Amino acid sequence: MPDWLIAALITLLKAVLVALALLTAFAYMTLVERRLLARMQIRWGPNRVGPMGLLQPLADAIKSIFKEDLQVTMADKLVYTLAPILAIGMALTAFGGIPAGPAGSLFGADPWVYNLDAGILALLALTSMGVYGIFLGGWASGSKYPILGGLRSSAQMISYELGMGLSVLGTLMLIGSTNFRVIVEWQALQGWTILFQVFAFALFLVSSFAEVNRTPFDLPEAEQEIVAGYLTEYTAIKWALFQMAEYVNMMTASALMATLFFGGYRGPVFLDGLIPGISSWPIIWLVVKIGFFLFLFIWVRATLPRLRYDQLMRFGWKLLLPLALGNTMLVAFYLAFLRPSGLGLWFLGLLSLAALLGLFVMGDRVRGLWSAPAVPKVPVKTTRPVGGD
Amino acid sequence: MMIAFILLGALTLVGGVITIAAKNAVHAALGLVGTLISVAGLFATLNASFLAATQVIVYAGAIMVLFLFVIMLLNANAPITGRDPIPFVRELAGLGGVVLAGSFVILAVSYKDPLPLAGATAALGGGSASVVGETLLTRFLLPFEAVSILLLVAIVGAVALVQRPVPQPDDVPDNEPELLAPPVGSAISRGGNQPALQHRNDEGEVRA
Repeated sequence: MPDWLIAALITLLKAVLVALALLTAFAYMTLVERRLLARMQIRWGPNRVGPMGLLQPLADAIKSIFKEDLQVTMADKLVYTLAPILAIGMALTAFGGIPAGPAGSLFGADPWVYNLDAGILALLALTSMGVYGIFLGGWASGSKYPILGGLRSSAQMISYELGMGLSVLGTLMLIGSTNFRVIVEWQALQGWTILFQVFAFALFLVSSFAEVNRTPFDLPEAEQEIVAGYLTEYTAIKWALFQMAEYVNMMTASALMATLFFGGYRGPVFLDGLIPGISSWPIIWLVVKIGFFLFLFIWVRATLPRLRYDQLMRFGWKLLLPLALGNTMLVAFYLAFLRPSGLGLWFLGLLSLAALLGLFVMGDRVRGLWSAPAVPKVPVKTTRPVGGD
Repeated sequence: MMIAFILLGALTLVGGVITIAAKNAVHAALGLVGTLISVAGLFATLNASFLAATQVIVYAGAIMVLFLFVIMLLNANAPITGRDPIPFVRELAGLGGVVLAGSFVILAVSYKDPLPLAGATAALGGGSASVVGETLLTRFLLPFEAVSILLLVAIVGAVALVQRPVPQPDDVPDNEPELLAPPVGSAISRGGNQPALQHRNDEGEVRA
């Protein structure tokens, strides 16, 4: 076989493996989430199917595959089918670009499906295409609540995409590359980016919760207001595909946080003293970090109530976006004036930490600046009404 | 690469045809999305990865979502029937299209590389963000800033358009006492300071 064919086959194999791994992880993620939520609420959670409920995902999968696939009369047939496929397709494709280990470390092959110079930009582009799945699904259902859910979700995701992109910008400026591998290797030399960009990480964390529609930002499917939002008219496997897309997006967001701020696929170096070379083993470190962030997603879901829609919009536009811009300016200021004068990266870390602490301390006091609804005051004339009681 | 280029070009054209031929406005918008993504693919095959990613993020990811948003919000996806309000609009559009196509043909025939190919490829630097950014912020700084001012003007215009008129006092006091027990919700629309649920009679009397 010619070389390019072998390379293409290996890439295809890796892509299929990543997709399978993500979908299995999704299935067990639902179980883990339900068990963890149950534990946090002092109840048992699913524990009937198999030992400790371990076969529950299998039962769920069989159920959703064999369930009748209903379709509303008013639905737009083509788009209705296309929307879930688009959602899951974009979610899976986006994950493939994240490297899981150093080059050639996976039995001689590279542990990523594709590696682009515009790595993070390509990932943001693909995840922004994921909006279409939800949006078109809501529209194509031809029903009231789904379209409301779709409109909400598109507005929400567009708003928070800005905050997300801008909060990453500082990191990218610091490292000077958009390639994931360069970002990880830079962190292996200089230390994790979280040390210097803790403020940006906080902003990024909040925006990614909003981007993947998780509590406290799960407005698109707020049950009390719009039934299940864009999912209302979906049943069986199409519904499951949407759920898959949501969880895969969660994993992508976790992997992105791990790669951009927590050293990516590299483990802590001091462990090399115990087992030589363990810090550059492929896959394991990324999976550990993803697992931590997934736990965080579940934890927050069990803790925080949902925001109101106007709060969500104000928070995104009036707080998150200006702060992300400010962070970008901070890094630019450091790069342009402080670094040439010999101040190390620790100073940037200090500034960033101070910004975050300032936000925590001042948060309650300056809330009026961004959280008060802008209702113009009507001048009140106090005259007695003519006539009277 | 050549095959990919040709395929993507064909997809671009198919998307364009769907955009103008589709009866349903949402389908037309989706055709346009297909065209924009195919164009991004064309950029990628031309080794301009930054441009490709930006094309998808900005056009397909943001602008077209807003298009669809408006279409869905106004429920404008019913096919338009009836006469065109502007006289001769089809003839004018056809004429404009012919002129545009003709000028593109002339451009394609008379095209001359501004730089020799090898030099241009080296200057492109793999289409990375740093090269694009540097060119944009040094050589093309003035047009770049002019475009951003244009966008700012557009934003200000949009905000001015959606601004609610300042409420004028209508000589009716807002805290007018209710004569009868109001239907639920009417107290809110009066803009009174009291929420509807807290509204009660001061004397504590019961009214039918």
